[in-house]
Parts: sequence; structure tokens; C-alpha cells
Amino acid sequence: MKKELGKCSLMMLVVTAIFSILASVAWAQDYPTKGVSYVIPFGPGGESDITARHQQPFFKKLFGQDLIISYKPGGGGAVGWAQLNKMKGDGYNIIGINLPHIIIKPQQKDVGFKTDDITGVYMFHYTPDAICVNKDSEFKTLADLVEFAKSNPGKVTFSGSGKGTANHLAQLRFDKMAGVKTTYVAFKGTGKAVAALLGKQVKAEWGYTSVGAKHEDKVRMLAVAMEKRHPKFPDVPTFKELGFDLVSGAYRGIAVPKSTPEPIRQQLSNMIGEINADPEFRAKMENDGMALLDVDYAGYKAFIQKMSDIYLEAAREAKIIK
Amino acid sequence: MSDQSINPARDTGGMVMACVFILIASISLWDTTNMMDSDSYVFPRAIAIAMIVMSLFLIIWNIVRPAGFMQEEHQKGSAARRIFLVAVMLLSCLVMPWLGFLISGIVTFGLLMLVSMYDPWTRGRKIVYPLVAGVIVVGFYTLFSKLLLVPLPVGLLFE
Amino acid sequence: MPGIEYILAALTPFNIFLAITGVIAGTVIGSLPGLTATMAVAVLVPITFSMEPSSALIMMGAIYTGAIYGGAYAAILLNTPGTPSAIATTFDGFPMAKRGEGDLAVSIACIASVTGGLVGAAFLLMLSPPLAKVALAFGPVEYFWLAIFGLTLISALSEGNLLKGLIGACFGLLLACVGIAEISADVRFTFGSQVLLGGIETVSALIGLYCIPVLIDLVATPDKHLKVTHQSRGFRFLEALALSWKAKFSLIRSSVIGTLVGILPGAGGSIAGLVSYSEARRTSKQSENFGKGEPEGIMATESANNATVGGGFIPTLVLGIPGTPPDAVILGALLIQGVKTGPSLFTEGGSIVYTFIYGLFLATILMLPVGLVIGRYAYRTIITVPKAMLVPTVAFMTVIGTYAIRNSISDIIIMILLGVVGWILNRFGFSPSPIVLGLILGRIAEQGFVQAWTIGAATEELGKMFFGRPISLVIIAFILISLFYPVIRARLPKLTLFRGKNNE
Repeated sequence: MKKELGKCSLMMLVVTAIFSILASVAWAQDYPTKGVSYVIPFGPGGESDITARHQQPFFKKLFGQDLIISYKPGGGGAVGWAQLNKMKGDGYNIIGINLPHIIIKPQQKDVGFKTDDITGVYMFHYTPDAICVNKDSEFKTLADLVEFAKSNPGKVTFSGSGKGTANHLAQLRFDKMAGVKTTYVAFKGTGKAVAALLGKQVKAEWGYTSVGAKHEDKVRMLAVAMEKRHPKFPDVPTFKELGFDLVSGAYRGIAVPKSTPEPIRQQLSNMIGEINADPEFRAKMENDGMALLDVDYAGYKAFIQKMSDIYLEAAREAKIIK
Repeated sequence: MSDQSINPARDTGGMVMACVFILIASISLWDTTNMMDSDSYVFPRAIAIAMIVMSLFLIIWNIVRPAGFMQEEHQKGSAARRIFLVAVMLLSCLVMPWLGFLISGIVTFGLLMLVSMYDPWTRGRKIVYPLVAGVIVVGFYTLFSKLLLVPLPVGLLFE
Repeated sequence: MPGIEYILAALTPFNIFLAITGVIAGTVIGSLPGLTATMAVAVLVPITFSMEPSSALIMMGAIYTGAIYGGAYAAILLNTPGTPSAIATTFDGFPMAKRGEGDLAVSIACIASVTGGLVGAAFLLMLSPPLAKVALAFGPVEYFWLAIFGLTLISALSEGNLLKGLIGACFGLLLACVGIAEISADVRFTFGSQVLLGGIETVSALIGLYCIPVLIDLVATPDKHLKVTHQSRGFRFLEALALSWKAKFSLIRSSVIGTLVGILPGAGGSIAGLVSYSEARRTSKQSENFGKGEPEGIMATESANNATVGGGFIPTLVLGIPGTPPDAVILGALLIQGVKTGPSLFTEGGSIVYTFIYGLFLATILMLPVGLVIGRYAYRTIITVPKAMLVPTVAFMTVIGTYAIRNSISDIIIMILLGVVGWILNRFGFSPSPIVLGLILGRIAEQGFVQAWTIGAATEELGKMFFGRPISLVIIAFILISLFYPVIRARLPKLTLFRGKNNE
């Protein structure tokens, strides 16, 4: 805290402005010099939290500073993202971002932020969508499920996390590709959706590969929405192999307030990339069923544009958005 | 269930509140018409309708059988102090983004101390109370911001 | 049955140290309104990275169980549930404190919490794999009926004016809808305000509705906050113990209810407390005293909410599905440590699980001395502190606690405004408890209803969905019993006889 208040405020503004420009140049060289606050716009214990927790020790190991995780849940992430640009842009405030949330939510209603307000510096992983069934399910393959759905429209019930989420959009897109009609039952979070599947309340789940990894002994995945098969599940086919062009999932990344200077954005992007490149980190993430992704600061805009086109079309057709 | 000292007066306050609730429920009903997904409006709509029906019933019941409301003795005491307490707490939230948590906390604490003081301000109290107040505020501030890592607002004026 | 080696593994000096620190820290954190068990555990996660998984679990379990108990202090002494699990503790705890028996109430809460914790841990130790199936048997429709069961408590809480209670509950149910809907993702009742997008946070609403009215009335008169009887009476431990012994069946039943509700991933401590309170009230001989300072009411809630700790670990460890929010954090920490949950954890990875369970027993037992001492200290502080210090301190705690839940200043403003609304409504005979019940149970009821409806409509079995499943029917039967029991009891004096035998 600086104590030289009370002076002419304009003067103060000028001084601070000059000071912060000088400081940002200086910081860019030996950034970070203190702990970095990492806001997760969801509650503790969710997948966004767990991936952040995975990054935490590696950040410390590689850059010598703490990554301090705090939570700002509410409105499916909207509360946190709406406040992003009000935070101090000095590189010590970063926030977790999720796709499709930051694309779909602002299109639904005014949620306090627009997709373009978010300055992403890196998208570091995604949890691929997957159709999961119980081990003893009548559906042995994806073809079984599609066949059943064709002769019984609407009767295949899928549990999944919330509406407008990666699971839901995947269900919408898949129904269209396969020409079937299925029923999506939204639950609050993946944990409850899995419980509904294991308890046979629903026939199947639109879940993630992480569900398959966590419940290996009870759950069978029929297909995963990846380009190539997941290294942990070499026996599970991709939708692509089976003739459905579906590559999707819950994408996670990191964003900074708009006021963050360019050199710091770039440096943060490099730093997250470095964590992603750490073999131990990769192994841990893949073992949890996640897939790593390397979209850096330079590639962020194009990536969001590409994903927006896909998501918004699916959401519009399903009348989630106007 | 308990029927001690029934006040024969009509429960006018309850009826006014019922009207307020009808208003709230109507506004909620109107708001549900903007929702697109039946998953989102079925439940609130049912509740709002139930609320209107029950509030109407409460009003009618009171007109037909005016009895049975037990007035509790809430009125006693200083209304000015009550209002001051709420006003100070609300104001402290409004200035918090600028002054920061610590300073607005100390000021609020001091003002609330004044409003809830019923004993005379002896010299000892004049010294001890502010000191203890300072220790409590700074203590909690440190506990939350340093130990529990809660990002308490620092205040725009000090950035 | 796991052997002595795990008990010894749990009893290393380091683990005992962790358990004591954990219980103390947890109790203090839980007693501050706004600081929940979830937060307490989440803050600790990074520390546990450098520990053995079983030690980390012991520490987190100790904090968790301490925090759930600590919630009772604020509930009893300030009429503010420190955690949502302690809501029903306010019903009888605060009236007891008001009439000068706060010390007794705190000691009773401590004994009940320890009992509940031990029962929950015993179930976790012996019956985990079979009980985990309960978690899966509960579908959306069962959660819906369970929430409705919780709402039947309104008839008991609205003191003679059922209609006002029901209207209050509807108000709470509507408040629960504000913000972006949790499952349908629609924006509801925000009227263009971005502040309301995140909805009304439950804990801050609790603080507002229960604590702010107390402050408003406290500041208005020079009267003491709690009635103080002339001299200090120690812990009143034996008195509390005697009362607990008299109500031992009620205590055990509440602990079992707490364990079972804790197993359900969609329910949690608040529902456990409410359901067992409702049951204790229904079956008690002094049921008319409930809500006016009946010790049995405190026992029911406090034993049930601490039993959810052990109960909640059952689905967490067996199925990898967190039973309660703090369990979700603990599960995440385990995942990062590379511990794989599942039934195999109880057979192959036995050492971690059993060391942890015995650690949980240890922490729960330690809670007795720790809880009594801290409780007594809290009570003495509250009654001796002059009003000019008490009011600002409590007000400051509500503000900082509410802020800390999700780092939001708007939440504080909502909290204060709700408090004012609650105070005004209370003056016209609308008590805050039905509103709170609506707020908490509303989300569960709505989600259960919508999901059950969707599945029922898809499979064309709507009627069977809502009224044709065995567990649902049992819950519906309980709903009917608790609604009509007062009527039945009045008509059939024979029943009183039967109950007398059962309870003595």
C-alpha cells in the first residue's frame, strides 16, 4: 500500500499510470515474484478444481511461486467471469475458463460478460465426451444403442451434467448425426449424473473419459469423442472411427483480466505450456482420463472462433439459444 | 396449537403481507413467461400459483373470521438504533470496494460500537474498547486473508 | 474384519497430533458463520500433498467432523447456523440459551455430536460396501419425496399458523429459483440484474435470515443478549450426560438417520438434521416442547449431522461419488495423490482406508474434551462480553463470513437485506424457518421433480415413476404419518401407551 494519498487525485492517476507501465516492463522480466491467485469460477471438488490442483504443484516446481486457488462459484461460472475484467491486470490474477460455457452462456441472456471480454492465454486440456453405460448393460457397442434408439424414439435416457454443457451439446449433435431421438436428463454436475447411471435410473450417460477412468470397474464406454483413441483406453473406439464426426468435450483454459500487459500474457502462455509439457503432469492428467491440449495465446482467438461456430449451431437447433 | 392470549384484533399486518406476497408471486409468474425450457418454468410457476392461492385464502380467512393473531412484543426498543445498524452495515458494503475491507471494517465496527453502547463511556472503556475492536478486526482480517487465503478487497484507493 | 495393525497405524503420534489440530481448527472454523466445512477442507488440500494419504485423510476428516460440530455454537448462542447442517439446532438451542441454559445446550450438542460421529464411523467401518448400494437406489423421484418430507416440518415450525408457514415456504422456494438454474441453465428471476445471476447463496441467506434479526433486536434495547444465571456451573457435563442417557434411543435413531441420509449424494447434513429433528419430534413424549428449548431437539440434529460425516464417506470411498460437498474436496485430493477409490480400496488398499476410519474414530472421541472446553469458552465469552463489543463483533463476523463464501460483496448486501425482510416478516407472524426450508429443499425438490418427470415421460411411466417405486412409497408413508400424526394421536389415546413403552 502506498501512503501518499490526499494529494491531487489527477496527479496521483498520472503517477500511478507511469509507475505501472514501468513496473509492468520490469515485471515481465522477473515475473512471477509472488504467489499467483488462480480463481476457479466453480465450487471446490469439481473437475475444474481438480485440474487446477494438478497444475498447482508443477507451477511451484517450475516457477518457484505458489499458485493460490480460490473459488467464486455461481451461475455456472458466470459470476466469476463477469468480474474478470474488474480484477487487477498485473499477471497475479488469473481465472479458469471453460468451454462451451463461455460461448453458450452470453448467448442465452445477459450474464454480465461477452465471449470476447475474456482474454484467454492458454487452453490446456479437454475432457473428451464419451457415452458410458453400465458394465451389464444391454448395449455392447454404439451400434446396439443407435439401433435401439431408432426403433424406440425418446426411450434411451441419458444422464448428463446440466443443460448447455459439453455433455448436452454432444448429445444434441450426436442425435442429429445418427438420426435418432434420445432423452437428455440434466443433473447437477458429473458426480450426480454418474450416480444416476450406476443406480440404473437412466440407460446411459453422456459423460467424459474421466468417468470411464474413475469408474473403470463398473462402467463401459461405447465411444469417445476424440481425434485418436485415448492412450488409457486403447480398446474404446472414437466416434470418428464409427462414422460420426464428433470431437468434443469440456475444454479448460486460463484467462487474464483485459488490463494485463501483452508481455505478461505471452509469458503466462509460455508458462502454462511448460507445465503441459512436463511428462509427469501429462501422465497424471492422462491417468485421470483427461486429454491435453496446447492452444497458446496466439492461437486462442482462432480456436474460440472455430468452437463457437460448432457450438452455437448445435445450441440454436436445440433452441437453447435464440 | 398454542392458544395463549388470543388477540381478537384482525391480523391487518398479515393481510398486508399476503398482498405483498401476491404481488411477488405475480411478478414471478410474469417472469416465467420469458423462459424457454419447460424444465425451468414448471416448478416456479406451480409455486407462484400456490403462493397466490394461499395468500388469497389467508386474506379471506381474516375477513370472515377475524381472530387468532398473537401480536408479539417486537415494538419495544429504539427504532432509530435499529435503522442505524442496518444503514451502517449496508453503507459499509457500498464503500468497501473503495476503502477496502480493513478500513471499512474498522469504521463500521466503531460506529456499531457507538450505537450499541448503553453504558456510560468511562475513561477506561474509552481506551480499552477501541483497542479490543482494533485487535478483533485486524485479527479476523489476518485470519481470513493470510491463513484462509480469502481475497478480501484491498480498496481501489490504495492500489 | 480389519485388525489391530490398522488401529496402531492410526495411533502414531503424528496422526494423533493431526487429529487434535484438525478437530480444534475445524471446531473454530465451523463456529464462525459463513466458514463451512467445505471451505475448511479446501484450504487444507495443498498441505496434504506432502503427507501420506492416510494422514492427509485423517487430518481432513478431523477438520470436517470438527467443523460440523462447531456449527452448533453459533446456532445455540447466536441463533445463526454456522453451517447449514446446524439449522435445526437453532430451533431448540437458541431458546435454551435465551433462558440461561446455553452451557447445558452446548454440552448436550457435544455429547450428541460425538455419539453421532461414532455411529457414522462404525457404519463406515463395518457396512460400507453394502450400504453404498443405498446411494444408488435413490433416484431423482426419491430425492423429490425426501425434500417434500423435509418440507412437512413446516407444519411443526409455523406455530399455530400453518397458512403463514406455507406461504413463507413458497417464498423460500421462489428465492431458491433466483439466478441461473443449476440444471436447465435458464436465467430466472434476476430482472436484468447481474448481481442476482449467481442466485441467493444458501449460507449467506441463513446468516441473514437468522442472525441479522437478532442483531436488530439486540441493538434496540439495553437488555442482555442471553439471560445469565448468577454463578458458573462448570460444564454441566453430568447433567447433559444424564439427559442424553434418558433419550438414548432417540439419539441412536437420529444417528442412524444421519448416517443413511449422509450416504445419499444429493442430500447432506442439512437434510439429515431436519429429517431426524422431525422424527424425534414426532416420537417424543415432549413433542409440544420442541421449538421452545427441548434438549432432545438439539440431540436429534447434532447427532444426525455428525453421523453424516461417516455416512458421506461411504459412497465417496466405495463408489467414488462424493456423499457431501466436503467429501467432493477430499475425493479430489485423494485423486491427486493417486489413490483409487472403489470397493477394492476396502480389500486391496485396506491399510489407507482402515487407518483413516480408525483416525476418524480417534478424532471423534477427541472432540469430546476439545468440544466441551471450546464450547464452554464460547459460552462464557458470549455472556460476559458487553453489548457494545458483542454487536459489532457479531456484525463483523456475519460480513466477513458471508464475503468469504464466494468472495462477493453483493452477497453481503443480499444477506443484510434478507435479514431486514426476515425481521419484518417475523413481526407479522411469518417465521424465518419455513423460508429457509423452502430455500434449501427447493433446489433438491425441483431437480428431483424435473428429472423424474423427464425420465417418466420418456419411458411413458409417469404414474409408476412417482408412486410406484418401493423407496418412494416408504417416504410417502412417512410424509403422511408426519402430516397426520397429531390428528391420529389425538383420536387414539391407545397410541400414547404404545409409545410410552417404546421410549422408556
